[in-house]
Amino acid sequence: MPSPEVANKVRDAITALKGADLKDPRLGEVLNLASQMSEAMQMFFSSLDRSLFDEMRYISSYIQRTRLEISNLRPNDLSEDRIPGAGAELHAVVQHTAEATNTIMAVAEEVMAADTSDPDAYQALVNEKMMEIFEACTFQDITGQRIKKVVDTLTHIEQRLERFANVMGVEDAELEETLEDRRRKENLLNGPALNGPEVAQDEIDALFGSEGGESMDQADLDKLFG
Amino acid sequence: MAVDLNAPVLVVDDYQTMVRIIRNLLKQLGFENVDEAADGREALEKMKKTKYGLVISDWNMEPMTGYELLREVRADEILKPTPFIMVTAESKTENVIAAKKAGVNNYIVKPFNAQTLKAKIASVLGDF
Repeated sequence: MPSPEVANKVRDAITALKGADLKDPRLGEVLNLASQMSEAMQMFFSSLDRSLFDEMRYISSYIQRTRLEISNLRPNDLSEDRIPGAGAELHAVVQHTAEATNTIMAVAEEVMAADTSDPDAYQALVNEKMMEIFEACTFQDITGQRIKKVVDTLTHIEQRLERFANVMGVEDAELEETLEDRRRKENLLNGPALNGPEVAQDEIDALFGSEGGESMDQADLDKLFG
Repeated sequence: MAVDLNAPVLVVDDYQTMVRIIRNLLKQLGFENVDEAADGREALEKMKKTKYGLVISDWNMEPMTGYELLREVRADEILKPTPFIMVTAESKTENVIAAKKAGVNNYIVKPFNAQTLKAKIASVLGDF
């Protein structure tokens, strides 16, 4: 039952009791007190209703804004077009580089295994095979263009997610470690470093000794790697 | 000590291209008996059947990594003495130290050249 209705019912009851011409003064005091309480409750319930309404209105507008921001992310475009497209481009890059590498290696193996007894025939073969290597190297231009498209897609996603996080005031939650995460950590699967090896071959050679003979203890290792 | 070029060499890598490159380099160095495995588990099974003179292994493979293979080999009384060279793109300090502690004989970071491979094999097996 809404609070104004409750208050009105209490007030009506009090008025009816007053009108009954009861002579006990204590009852009058009780009724006065009840009347004051009724008015206070009405004010309380009115303010409660208003604050609830304001809260609901805020939640509603927040949900609307969230829907708008998610819509601006264009999630369907990302999941149905851009991300699969980027995946297909990367798959093509892997395929082209593998094909080119296999072609180059096969040609090199042919040259290495070729009969050198006839110098003219050997030179002709080498020239022909070198042209095949040059042709195979054209993959680089195409893969460069494909990778640029993937980078553009990633930049697009990054910008939209960044805007979404800023508008919604989203903060990163703690990540729960998966079994795969744990396995990667235990096996030190860091992958290749971006700008060349983190530890150069020379430093590794120093660790193992130029002749590969002497072993180093932990103190030596710490000294070597700071 | 001179390298025994007749001793079988096991190349462990999940990228067939890399196996082919190392196989060709080993052939140029004079190794004729080269075997291959696509991950640590397959390598371990082969090592239990054949006595290899050298194992050249990548690090990052599934389901068993080269690091796990190395630890398995060093924990096995029979396989323990097998010379083991890690050839990997894992170049962090922690990787090199972990491999060294686990008993790897030498460590090559990718990309590498034929000269580096030859030098590391020589450091482990002896002069060519």
